[in-house]
Amino acid sequence: MNNVMALSGVVIIEMYRRKDFYVLFVMTALITLILGSMRFFDDDMIVRYLKEVCLLLIWISSLVIAISTTARQIPAERESRTIFPLLAKPVSRAQLIAGKFFGCWLACGLALIVFYLFFGVITASREHAWPMASYFQAISMHWIALGIVIALVLFGSVVFTAPSSNATICFIIVIGLMFVGGHLNKMALVPGMSGKIIYAIYYMIPHLEWYDLRDRIIHDWGRVPWGAWAGAILYGILYSGFLLGAAWAVFRRKTLTV
Amino acid sequence: MIRLVLLLVFVCCFSLATVLQPHFDLGHRQDKSGSVLAALMGDSRRMFANQFFAKADAYFHKGFYPTIFDNAKKEGPSHLSEEAHEAPGHDEHEEGFLGPPHDWIERFGRNFFPTVHTHLQGGNQREILPWLQLSADLDPNRIETYVVAAYWLRTQLNKPKEAEAFLRQGLRANPDSYEILLELGRVYYYNNKNPSVARNIWEIALQKWRKQDESKGKPDVRIYEEILGEMVRDDQQTGDLQKLLPDLEALKLVSPNKESVQKYIDDAKAKMAH
Repeated sequence: MNNVMALSGVVIIEMYRRKDFYVLFVMTALITLILGSMRFFDDDMIVRYLKEVCLLLIWISSLVIAISTTARQIPAERESRTIFPLLAKPVSRAQLIAGKFFGCWLACGLALIVFYLFFGVITASREHAWPMASYFQAISMHWIALGIVIALVLFGSVVFTAPSSNATICFIIVIGLMFVGGHLNKMALVPGMSGKIIYAIYYMIPHLEWYDLRDRIIHDWGRVPWGAWAGAILYGILYSGFLLGAAWAVFRRKTLTV
Repeated sequence: MIRLVLLLVFVCCFSLATVLQPHFDLGHRQDKSGSVLAALMGDSRRMFANQFFAKADAYFHKGFYPTIFDNAKKEGPSHLSEEAHEAPGHDEHEEGFLGPPHDWIERFGRNFFPTVHTHLQGGNQREILPWLQLSADLDPNRIETYVVAAYWLRTQLNKPKEAEAFLRQGLRANPDSYEILLELGRVYYYNNKNPSVARNIWEIALQKWRKQDESKGKPDVRIYEEILGEMVRDDQQTGDLQKLLPDLEALKLVSPNKESVQKYIDDAKAKMAH
């Protein structure tokens, strides 16, 4: 466990030394504040468009941070050959995967806290309300979704050779999962074998669309039932575990010579 | 040598710019709206304008809105537009587009997004306005946008001045629009309490409608009926039987409820006889 935590710490330090997060946060804040300064029909109580844009930027930024940070972890270690002394420490390959995962996941969690704090302040300045339960559910679900994405990217980084191709493929998969994943069952209503195949894919893919609570937050629908929230969290943890297991299974047999 | 070439290229660029600049200016002046968006996006902005109008409709339903994968109502006006043409209190809701869930994943997933058909109330209708403004900026010829925004501004948000300004903006872009004139007349009649100006505006709206009808432009009969309806209401309010009778006769020709209009005509004739 100490090895895993030590590896995680290195990833977190790396993240706050890099400029990615700061650039994305400043851009999100700037765009939101510029939009917030606009007035429509002389009404200063309009807020939902601002919440929508801000949450969209937060989702995009968090996915960029998660995917770009994770995609370069293992390839960078291999390229700089630091992976050899690391594995000779002794750190097992499973610990390396777990350490990289927790490092990226915790780093994303810290970034999410800053993003959502900004969102909360901006929203409260117009709505004068802090729906804490809803915000807690939104941030926790978002974090779990990022956990699945990070595990997916780690799996990709032991399968694909270049971090750029891994990041691009993972971006496409994640966007596809979020926008189409939940609707595959409707597409599967076509008769025949293709329908059955689509339905099988529907059951196999991670349902990232569950973790997107933006519409509930924007339109003030209140919190999700706690049972459903817990179920989604458990599903996310299990799916992340499965993807990490798959990454480890591939990585343990992989030759590391460059 | 290189310096000379660079200097030559710079002089060429400068000369070319002085030649091209007047052409660009002319192009901008020819553009009706003259906005940066129009210059940048061309006709594609109309597609985005429709998208933003749909976004306003989604906001009106508090996020409960079909995606391209759902069995949505394909044709017909949005609820936003329907509400703008209905009497207050109208509460006829379509069946939920979601239908019963196909499997446990879908059933479970419905916990995480809005699944109840409701409309914005209590002044929260203001939330649709940014999207309508954006839609109008992108497509100034989309008349529905002005009418819908003005309806909510004057009826629920108590902003007749803003409604009038927005309608006049729409009228500048669409000078022949009888729909915008109908709504502008309503602002004067119901909010500004100025029936004489309202009536003049509705008469212009009628002229515009008839002009389009004569030129086989297939204008909307429902709007014609609404204009006449408003004029009849004004005639009844002022007790001007000389105007009421021809207005009722014109309304009878297009009204689906001809018997009740005939009853009003008979009453007016009886009053005139006295």
